[in-house]
Amino acid sequence: MDDRKTAILAEIPRLRRYARSLLRDRDSADDLVQDCLERALARLDNWQSGESPRRWLFTIMHHLFIDQMRRRSRRGEAAFLPLDNEEALAAPAEQLSSAASRDIVHALQAIGPERREALVMVAIEGFSYAEAAGILGVPAGTLMSRIARGREELRGLLDDSTRRRAIRIVEK
Amino acid sequence: MTGRDFSERDIHMALDGELPDEDRMAFDFWLNANPEMAARSARYAADGEALRAAFAGVLSEPVPARLAETLLGRTAGRRAPPSPWWLAAAAVLLLAAGGASGYLAGSAGSGAGDTASDQLAEEAIAAHVVYAAEQRHAVEVPASDRDHMETWLSSRVGLKLVPPDLAPDGFHLVGGRLLPAGSHKAAMLLYEDAAGDRLSVFVTAESAARGSGTYAEMADGPRAVYWLDKGYGCAVVGVLPSGRLNAVAASAYRQLLAGMAS
Repeated sequence: MDDRKTAILAEIPRLRRYARSLLRDRDSADDLVQDCLERALARLDNWQSGESPRRWLFTIMHHLFIDQMRRRSRRGEAAFLPLDNEEALAAPAEQLSSAASRDIVHALQAIGPERREALVMVAIEGFSYAEAAGILGVPAGTLMSRIARGREELRGLLDDSTRRRAIRIVEK
Repeated sequence: MTGRDFSERDIHMALDGELPDEDRMAFDFWLNANPEMAARSARYAADGEALRAAFAGVLSEPVPARLAETLLGRTAGRRAPPSPWWLAAAAVLLLAAGGASGYLAGSAGSGAGDTASDQLAEEAIAAHVVYAAEQRHAVEVPASDRDHMETWLSSRVGLKLVPPDLAPDGFHLVGGRLLPAGSHKAAMLLYEDAAGDRLSVFVTAESAARGSGTYAEMADGPRAVYWLDKGYGCAVVGVLPSGRLNAVAASAYRQLLAGMAS
């Protein structure tokens, strides 16, 4: 295997984590990673020496994800995912033991895909604003506003699920 | 740096490591003096930790063979079965085109992979497509007869249904109607804004599942924002910019919950 492929191989766990936070369903997420790897291999010559493999691969994945969302909306498909299939969650059920952890995975899926990407890119994947804006192809100001709105939306959704649990307890 | 005004924007920058070092002390001082902002910052930080924790396990999972094989240039297999919700969504389009929302009563729940959230959203969207387009017959009971509508829909659906006040978001109540939802009943509340854009709030007391979700942001057609909990489900449907729809939906949902608990 050549050096470039070795470098790509090393990024697979990160790509899988990013895909899982975008799509949650494990198989759909791995499909996205596989599409990303296939496209990367087909365009290996476009990968400029010196460019970080991570940024290059995340950019490819971002375009594939956006294409997928567009195809879905053109077909009138909802971006709904099976919500109560524990096996389909981001982490195995035992790793999502706490209600809080399940709630946050649900809530993340409920925020808009563009905000979700921006937030995940910075808060989970640890990219700088400049890197994330470059990968997502938006100005830094747009990225920041997506992050801010994403965090606020996430907070509201988490509060709602906490309140729902509280109401259930009161009803019992 | 002294005298710099800080705002919520700086909270995000600080959390993301983007606040210039020279601003750090002044920022911390500002945060200390603003308990509300400090609480917000702490909350965002905690949510961030929870997010990282929820996905941390993925990094240590073994790489699936098909991904490694793809990289090695072998023909990697793909997972075969189509997603069941994809098929279900296609069925809804057919239903919406035919205007036969009642047919859902027969078809809903037939697929093994169908989830309650799919059904709720599909029914809500089908109802919106059919009824929100009606000018004269969109609702069975007009908003002018609100008390009667509230009593009637509450008793039919089986939960205390207080129509949310969406006036702060620019929507007034047009009225409501009763609909089939699977083998049960649902209430549809129709709202309209000054521009004539319509929004429907679909509520059912029957749900065995829990969760919440939304359409893709880029959707041109009606988009549903829904919440499901054991015992009730709610979907807000409209063709609005996603930010506005999310805001109205969150407001509607909060008020519905408060109404049920009242």
